[in-house]
Amino acid sequence: MIESYAILPCNGLDKCAGAISREIAIKLCENAGNEMICPVFYRVAETKYNKIAGEHPLLVIDGCPTRCASKLAAEKSLKISKRITITEEAKSHNIKLSSGLRLQENENTLVELVLYELENAHDNAAVVSIESNTSYHFDYESFQNGKFIFRVPGNPQIYFNENDCWAYVIGNRARIGVTDFVQQNLSDILYFTPPEIGAEIDQFGEVGEIESSKSVFELISPVTGKVISVNKTLEQKPELINENPYESGWVAEIELTDFESDKELLIGFDKYFEIIKKKVEDLNG
Amino acid sequence: MSETTFMGVEREKIDWKPTIDYSKCDYCMECVKFCPHKVFEVNENEEIKLIVRNPSNCVVFCRACSKTCGPDAISFPDKNATTQRIKEIRKEESID
Repeated sequence: MIESYAILPCNGLDKCAGAISREIAIKLCENAGNEMICPVFYRVAETKYNKIAGEHPLLVIDGCPTRCASKLAAEKSLKISKRITITEEAKSHNIKLSSGLRLQENENTLVELVLYELENAHDNAAVVSIESNTSYHFDYESFQNGKFIFRVPGNPQIYFNENDCWAYVIGNRARIGVTDFVQQNLSDILYFTPPEIGAEIDQFGEVGEIESSKSVFELISPVTGKVISVNKTLEQKPELINENPYESGWVAEIELTDFESDKELLIGFDKYFEIIKKKVEDLNG
Repeated sequence: MSETTFMGVEREKIDWKPTIDYSKCDYCMECVKFCPHKVFEVNENEEIKLIVRNPSNCVVFCRACSKTCGPDAISFPDKNATTQRIKEIRKEESID
């Protein structure tokens, strides 16, 4: 059964997906000890909803990728515990949504499916995360720009792509994450979407997302392979990526399948250190 | 300011940019607000109000703007084909 949530849904009056968000939120509030946050009223009377959001974990229901509800949560500095996006749910269930605002058969089916999945979320942990016991050691070099310090690990086992993600390779496994450039640019990270355990990822494929009130960053995998574990702590404490994106803020572990080929498009410390310095200089004019 | 090379390959030689499906785009301009690299340009007075103005500014393999697109109107080239092409160019130009 789901936890007792504060639910912040999409407003629901612009697209069909919004109307579905609204319907799911209403049903969740009818069926359990959940509390609704009205996104419209929240903008003018935040005291009531700040209290509710402070007392429960926050479930955000976005209608479409514009993610108005998530943006409102970020604007109000609310930490999101769980988020679903209706258009993504529709895609994953192969349901085509209509263009109207009234729910028809397809939309009602999706409402029931999403409710069922939310209510059974804790029973669905069929795939097990196998985190390695390897101890990772980092030797950093750093530089400063204004008040910001950028660290880059110089260990030879660590590879980078030009998309500011790193891979610490030991044997046929790699631990991956983002560099200081990403976390400094995003500022306070509020939400982490992990990759799915068991997912087969190509080099340069998406391997999760991190989000701050400023922006969303799609992690671009430095390596090809299968996701065998994710840093579950980040789901509750995404700020660990700000604290240290290489150690406590690591993202996932990948079982490598084609590292010799991956290496052709990866760089080591020396090149990445030059690139990150140039990017920081360019950003600051 | 955008990088002029990616993995040693001139950025202009890499076909990686967003394509807008104008039959879906509702000109909400979320992509414009999102992208810090000025890939898009808004022309309020034109019939087509949004264009891809600076394709070479687009960060190779970044697809994040498409994630902000409510009507799912933005697409990108095939990632594996692009990866392969970058490797070929690197080989042709003997880039280490």
